[in-house]
Amino acid sequence: MAINILIVDDSAVMRAMILKSLRMTGLDIGETYQAGNGQEGLEALNDNWVDMVIVDINMPVMNGEEMIGQMRENPATADIPIVVISTEGSEARLERLREKGAAFIHKPFTPETIRDTMRTMLHLEEND
Amino acid sequence: MTDQIAEAKETIYQVAEDVLEKLAFLFSFREEERGPMDYGSAVVASVSFTGQFKGRLLMAVSSEMLPELAANMLGIEEETSPEEQRDALKELINVICGNLLPEIAGRKQLFNVNTPRILPSGEIEAIISDKNPAATAKLALEEGQCDLILYLDDAGPGVSLEPETPEP
Ligand SMILES: [Mg+2]
Repeated sequence: MAINILIVDDSAVMRAMILKSLRMTGLDIGETYQAGNGQEGLEALNDNWVDMVIVDINMPVMNGEEMIGQMRENPATADIPIVVISTEGSEARLERLREKGAAFIHKPFTPETIRDTMRTMLHLEEND
Repeated sequence: MTDQIAEAKETIYQVAEDVLEKLAFLFSFREEERGPMDYGSAVVASVSFTGQFKGRLLMAVSSEMLPELAANMLGIEEETSPEEQRDALKELINVICGNLLPEIAGRKQLFNVNTPRILPSGEIEAIISDKNPAATAKLALEEGQCDLILYLDDAGPGVSLEPETPEP
């Protein structure tokens, strides 16, 4: 089944890099949506059904941590798998994200890291 | 003190070389001996941060390198727009700064990295003439140059990268 994904990052170039990496994973990617900050990300979630959210931390208007907090509080979005792709290096902040059930990919990343994390998050086997 | 600044410089080199290679597929070489770049013929991005120490990082890249940098990041052959080129540089400095601060301060520290921006030329001069940087890294790229300049706030002549110690 195709996976619908929302990519939230304030850099359009980074969103394109993530999308390119997703297309290289071999996974069946369905609809993809993009947003430039957490606020726009929440609006996109209101309008579209997605199977996974990929979100940056450092963004203007609303950062990724706040967006994840609001997603988890809303029953409609509380269970959507979340992958954080960020430069974040602080142990405390990474722990807070883990507590909210988010997986973490460090920037700069390789397409393999994205593929492996996606498989784990979506409980896919090697040959799916 | 001097040791710490020397260490910060080494860390900037390591992080910048790694990020340039992984994110923009660009090899860089250290050019410790040369003078600063001509910032008039460069595009300069700036990102400020707060945390254990406050300050900003500047990243200057020769203008002629920008199209290749953006095309590499996007993985396309076609020409990139000026907006994509500025966005590419802003994301590069964001990733370099985000990786640099925990390397210098340790992972126990929490930093907030603000949204990067491209500096208008007047502002570049003002920043550079205003105070001395804590550390500068000078790189050669395939067809251009790149300078990374770290400024720390609230630091007088004795710029400190040491953790704050409570007053006795
Ligand atoms: Mg960002």
